[in-house]
Amino acid sequence: MLRSGPVTPALDTRWFDPTRLNILIGVLLFTTFLVINLFRARGGRELYVRPLAGLKAMDEAIGRATEMGRSVLYVPGLSDMSEVGTFAAITILYRLAQRVAEMGCDIDVPCYDPVVMTVLDGAVRDAYSKVGKPDAFRPGCVHYVSAQQMAYVAAVNGYMLRERPAANIYMGSFYAESLLLAETGATTGAIQIAGTDKVTQLPFFVCACDYTLLGEELFAASAYLGKEPIQLATIIAQDWAKALAAAAVVTALALAALGNLALMKWLGAA
Amino acid sequence: MIRRGQLLVTFLVGAAIAALYFIPHYRAQALNSKLLEWTLIVYAFALILGSMSLWNSHTKKVRNRVEGWGYSLVTLSSLVVITVLGIWKGVGEGTPVGTIYDTVNSPLASTMFSLLAFVIASAAFRAFRARSVEATLLLITAIVMMVGRVSIGPIISPHLPGITEWLLDVPNLAAKRAIALGVGLGAVSTALKIILGIEQSYLGKS
Repeated sequence: MLRSGPVTPALDTRWFDPTRLNILIGVLLFTTFLVINLFRARGGRELYVRPLAGLKAMDEAIGRATEMGRSVLYVPGLSDMSEVGTFAAITILYRLAQRVAEMGCDIDVPCYDPVVMTVLDGAVRDAYSKVGKPDAFRPGCVHYVSAQQMAYVAAVNGYMLRERPAANIYMGSFYAESLLLAETGATTGAIQIAGTDKVTQLPFFVCACDYTLLGEELFAASAYLGKEPIQLATIIAQDWAKALAAAAVVTALALAALGNLALMKWLGAA
Repeated sequence: MIRRGQLLVTFLVGAAIAALYFIPHYRAQALNSKLLEWTLIVYAFALILGSMSLWNSHTKKVRNRVEGWGYSLVTLSSLVVITVLGIWKGVGEGTPVGTIYDTVNSPLASTMFSLLAFVIASAAFRAFRARSVEATLLLITAIVMMVGRVSIGPIISPHLPGITEWLLDVPNLAAKRAIALGVGLGAVSTALKIILGIEQSYLGKS
């Protein structure tokens, strides 16, 4: 007689996953580039970063809002703290809030995630303190709306139509709501600047906004706005890594054309 | 001192989570799962802060009778009703909260989502105006794509479906991959900046 019992899956006892060796090497190389550029920045070396039209326009947008006596609306995306796009949104808001505080303009930040709201509130308070205007901070300017996508859209669209902010800035991770928000903002005549790491949402922002930060530009934005040499060093490291990745892709393609797929397989592309 | 402690915790946890990505050992993965569970506890406390924020911002609007204060009153009433019913009768299928969700919330969300069809049309109209060489190229590509993907396309020209496939698989995919590569590197850069303490804005007021 055959007897059967529950089958226990074999437990993985490996301390390293060899299929992720390429990623580990990539991360280590990136860290090396970062450290080299940090030393270059600390050594007082001037680092050049190409200007981004969307970021230059932020000052213009805040200036316009100040002149018109209206607020700046900052939408930090619909993701939680596990998304790196949310971190980018936080760092950009920190720099933007400093400029807003300096120019004496008002800012409104509706939030989708309560954890993100708590972090953003702290960042904006810190930004006002940093420019010496802690009393100008308006409690409640960073506020929670809803953790439901379409309820959030309804609330933010309603705010845009009632309050008519002079500038709408969308930074972070967005999904189906991107065009609903940006198109409503466009009808109010506000200057609109967007940036997202979600490739599928980029065309919508390009259509409906005045300026759009594409992918990596979102992550470079805070360093660009801060202009601190150490922050700029991270962008240079990013460019070095990009050049290396491009070189690896071209080499892998050339080798594949010659019949050698080893590099392509190692990179995980074949 | 507090700021240093925050940075140290960030470094240790960030480095540990990054290391756990490369370690498939079952004990390491159990630790990873445990750390992720802790985020739920943080979320629960933050939700209380979020509810307080919602309450404060809308009571202020109702008190000051600002434009659209009636919507704030609806929001506050809904918040109270759902909270009371949720605690009293529970949540899920067959409960009053479940019924309200199915009969009010879901249709409202669907209505908002359906607006996307109209905003896509208006955004497309604005984007496809041939004001520059780039916009004209976009317009021509869009027309080829739209015609080539419907049944009338092969009737107009048997080459159209092939052209649309090429547009999707070559120039479109190349651009998407280039952006994705930049996003990946940007994400690693941001993560390293946070782990190494170069970026501290998320820590708030020290």
